Amino acid sequence: MTIPRPLFQAAQKTTLALLVTTVALTILFPLFFLFTFSLMSDYETYSEWPKPLWPHSQVRYRMEKISPQTTRLLIWNHGQSQWQPFGPEHIEANEEVAKKLSRFLTNYGNTTLSPSEILSHVQKAQNSGFHEFTAQKSLSQNYQRFFRLYSGAADAVLHSLSTALLTILISVVIGGMAGYAFARYVFKGKDVLKLSVLFVRMFPPVAIAIPMVVILGRMGLYDRPAGLSLIYSVNQIAMNIWITASIFMGIPESLEEAALIFGANKRGAFFRITLPLAVPGLAACAMYSFISSWNEVINALILTQFRPTFPVVVYKSLLGANAQVHLIAAGSIAQAAPAILFTLIIRRYLLQMWGGVKV
Amino acid sequence: MTTLTLTNLAKRYSRSVWGVRSMSLDVKDKEFVVFLGPSGCGKTTCMRMIAGLETVTRGRIILKGQDITDLPPKDRGVSMVFQNYAIWPHMNVYDNIAFALRLKNVDRKELNQRVKKVAQMVRIEPLLKRFPGQMSGGQQQRVALARALAVEPRLFLMDEPLSNLDAKLRVSMRTELKTIHQESGATSIFVTHDQSEAMSMADRIVIMKDGEIVQTGTPEEVYFQSANTFVAGFIGTPPANFFPVEWKNGKLEHPRFQLSPPPALHQAIENHGKNRLILGVRPESIQVVREEEALFIAPVLVVEPQGSHQIVAVQVEDEVVKLIMPPACGVQPGELLPLTFDSTRLHLFDEESQLRIPGY
Repeated sequence: MTIPRPLFQAAQKTTLALLVTTVALTILFPLFFLFTFSLMSDYETYSEWPKPLWPHSQVRYRMEKISPQTTRLLIWNHGQSQWQPFGPEHIEANEEVAKKLSRFLTNYGNTTLSPSEILSHVQKAQNSGFHEFTAQKSLSQNYQRFFRLYSGAADAVLHSLSTALLTILISVVIGGMAGYAFARYVFKGKDVLKLSVLFVRMFPPVAIAIPMVVILGRMGLYDRPAGLSLIYSVNQIAMNIWITASIFMGIPESLEEAALIFGANKRGAFFRITLPLAVPGLAACAMYSFISSWNEVINALILTQFRPTFPVVVYKSLLGANAQVHLIAAGSIAQAAPAILFTLIIRRYLLQMWGGVKV
Repeated sequence: MTTLTLTNLAKRYSRSVWGVRSMSLDVKDKEFVVFLGPSGCGKTTCMRMIAGLETVTRGRIILKGQDITDLPPKDRGVSMVFQNYAIWPHMNVYDNIAFALRLKNVDRKELNQRVKKVAQMVRIEPLLKRFPGQMSGGQQQRVALARALAVEPRLFLMDEPLSNLDAKLRVSMRTELKTIHQESGATSIFVTHDQSEAMSMADRIVIMKDGEIVQTGTPEEVYFQSANTFVAGFIGTPPANFFPVEWKNGKLEHPRFQLSPPPALHQAIENHGKNRLILGVRPESIQVVREEEALFIAPVLVVEPQGSHQIVAVQVEDEVVKLIMPPACGVQPGELLPLTFDSTRLHLFDEESQLRIPGY
């Protein structure tokens, strides 16, 4: 039996659509999930269910008078659509209690209310029996708290950045030079050599952890971004050799030869002709190097101690009983954002083709 | 006056692979020399050695009295047009042309003048701000030409510059190239595998085969005085027809005909003293005559109309012989044509050496 052609085509299209959607969702969903969580307050994270698709920007509070001296605070639970008690069972109208409550609302509700504001709200509830008000939720608070809570996170970002930039520098320069050699020169064992540079990528980092630590220690580079970038570069150079070799192969040799004839020496021909034409490819290499170095955890975990990189800090925040999901989400987004940003910036260079010429 | 001298120039790629075996040549001032040959004959290798893009295995290259054999390309004072144009895609036309002049620190005013001048010469003035990607193949070709002309070279090299153009443009560019050559007066070497291109442009043609020069001469010389069967079979559209003949009793004997050569040729064959020969006849030297004057009669296989003339293929023994006839002469395939040769235009070659018999 043969399947009718229109049916077959429809099935093909559907399968493709499903596949593309699945891939898109597997990439986008975790990112979206983390982003939503990174904006939630502690209360929203642990007490509201189901979670909103888009986090609320405001929190609704209600003060109720219990007795002439005491008031209680309620919060609107979006999940169950009802008022629920929030914080201490009863609030006395004095400075000390107001201060405590202010801190509580900052930490658990992500709202900033000064003690005097709280006292005025209590006063209003006392006057009319109950009083409802909304407070603006601080969206950056989880990020701030992540960096305050996990000490050294800010330094870790700097370590990560310097590691990544050093990796780009080392791996693009060395990988690019080797790639040029592979593309332009004929020599014995070229194919074997080109394949064998990929072997370094086959070792699991854990398997060679001890030697790496010892060697870096002897070089005085243990626990330093420079040492870490050396390790990353070893892997990345192999990748960059392959990328740049194919780029340089795509640039006709006669362009360089023309430069030689029209007055340039070999170096001039490379820097004036080949290099500008290879920029898009080198940008791709740089992007790849940046992302792989920025996101790397295992090597960084082994090779750092007091100067961890940012992924290590995020990783460590996941451990332990005091893990707070919304803070970790903030850390993760802070970790992902530069990589995404870098990709978007460098994408312009990837697409940059002079006058529509394919290079 | 001699501009370029090649002496025993050779290029060896590996133990048994030769690009050029041995080349000796003098190129005169303002001459337009074409290297012609089938692919792989070493013509491009030779040109690249002159340009300095290939190292020389043996021999010397002398340009205007200076030995340039081991100089880097930039110090040779030559310029080149590449087969794929090789204009730089990240520079606009102006920068492409000005590249060499800027490296030579030509001052800005003169640079501007020279760029404008060559742009005018090849008619691309309106395109100076464009990028190569926005231009057609013919325009890119002109940019490559302009760039090569701008440096006012001692020697102008062209490596199959027309082979990437479409047929019509190729023919019109031929004329233009020749005009530009006459205008600029630059000594030029032109590499091609297209014999009609070579014939129409060259002052002198250098025909090459297997890394060696087979014949050097003006288009007329190589056409009418072809040095061997290879040249006769390479030059001309269609090329010469060959008949194996035997010299017997003062006549050239072929299974289908007997031919008495004119006295000069008779003497030359006698002097040569060999019996087994090859007769070469150009298509236009074969004439259709009345039956009683015919040397032989052959059936028509195919008629190829060309407009101005027709190419008629006839069968002689197992060979296909091509001749040229006036248009609309009404010849049909299968028809029997009575044919004879113009006996003043015969070519005779030694069968063993394939070389032309000297002395006629």
